[in-house]
Amino acid sequence: MTSREHQVSLCNCVPLLRRLLCDAPWRKARPLHALSLFPSKMAEESQSVLQLPPSSAAGGEGLTDVSPETTTPEPPSSAAVSPGTEEPAGDTKKKIDILLKAVGDTPIMKTKKWAVERTRTIQGLIDFIKKFLKLVASEQLFIYVNQSFAPSPDQEVGTLYECFGSDGKLVLHYCKSQAWG
Amino acid sequence: MTDDKDVLRDVWFGRIPTCFTLCQDEITEREAEPYYLLLPRVSYLTLVTDKVKKHFQKVMRQEDISEIWFEYEGTPLKWHYPIGLLFDLLASSSALPWNITVHFKSFPEKDLLHCPSKDAIEAHFMSCMKEADALKHKSQVINEMQKKDHKQLWMGLQNDRFDQFWAINRKLMDYPAEENGFRYIPFRIYQTTTERPFIQKLFRPVAADGQLHTLGDLLKEVCPSAIDPEDGEKKNQVMIHGIEPMLETPLQWLSEHLSYPDNFLHISIIPQPTD
Repeated sequence: MTSREHQVSLCNCVPLLRRLLCDAPWRKARPLHALSLFPSKMAEESQSVLQLPPSSAAGGEGLTDVSPETTTPEPPSSAAVSPGTEEPAGDTKKKIDILLKAVGDTPIMKTKKWAVERTRTIQGLIDFIKKFLKLVASEQLFIYVNQSFAPSPDQEVGTLYECFGSDGKLVLHYCKSQAWG
Repeated sequence: MTDDKDVLRDVWFGRIPTCFTLCQDEITEREAEPYYLLLPRVSYLTLVTDKVKKHFQKVMRQEDISEIWFEYEGTPLKWHYPIGLLFDLLASSSALPWNITVHFKSFPEKDLLHCPSKDAIEAHFMSCMKEADALKHKSQVINEMQKKDHKQLWMGLQNDRFDQFWAINRKLMDYPAEENGFRYIPFRIYQTTTERPFIQKLFRPVAADGQLHTLGDLLKEVCPSAIDPEDGEKKNQVMIHGIEPMLETPLQWLSEHLSYPDNFLHISIIPQPTD
């Protein structure tokens, strides 16, 4: 499915999208169109994206609103969206908020705020941004934390959020060239 | 009595006797002899194995050679992990030498990052150092350094020059006089028994009451399964640089003396050997 068709199908989705709360201690207003990233590793399978709230308020870490997410992006290579599976309760499946900021003359993402699974890797995020920005696969994309270091491609965003997140989100800068060496 | 500074040298000069053997599946023009090498614990595989690569490429045809990668008992070895960490985590309970298998084809894309050049190793190394300083000093110390200081850190590691490296690295081990240590301790805890690659969290070296946190305090907080029950038998080893530091050791001291050159404490939790 092309990016274009993908975007069209998004417009046809039920407009009210609400995201599962990450374990931020407080809520903030979130853009209605903030979408979840689907895992790039499982692009071959039709990835279930419909999510139900976790069965327990995991560790009581301030989970308040756990509204279910209604429809959503399909994996790029499949046409059907399969019905949801329950999101397992437990840290590794909870999502964290990521705010993406463009550096230099890198194209700016229309949607900047994303709810991402903790186990998503930096490489997975890079692949997603490149597809979203319609960059060629051979073009490089660098991601920086704290505007100072580029984490390893196999680094999990959940760990980065734990160590470098603030105000309930992880801010990441992305750039087509090396910005901070 | 041993000076604390001697610990820094012992860590830097740690070596692992290794035997490299070419994978049976590789096509060779004549028999490939194994290659023996003492690997620096604190370095990275692709930085120190040029001679290994040359040795095996001598018996292979040009067209059969692509990117080199290493494997131990079926596990691909991540070049971006320090050598000492890989050994402690995967092979410390086995007899020496460490037997590593060398491959030139079928690169395992899902398990390993590519290492296109020495620049890639340098970039990775510097990024780890910057991440460590972000935790220790909010990046203030490393950002104040000039480009040539960063270069000196890398050259020191690449050329196995302890003095060259520590002339700059000692600045990263400092902290303000009014504090008792770093802001947070850069650490990663690895276990082969879990799904996640490693545990890394924010952890302060000093408690609110001014007491120094210990290695035991860290484990209790972020990896309680690693701590053996007091009355039970010892199930796990908590290993750094091939040794098991006492759990009472202050974490700040460990960070200053037992960190790898990237300024991280890479800690392995491994099952107690049964012999």
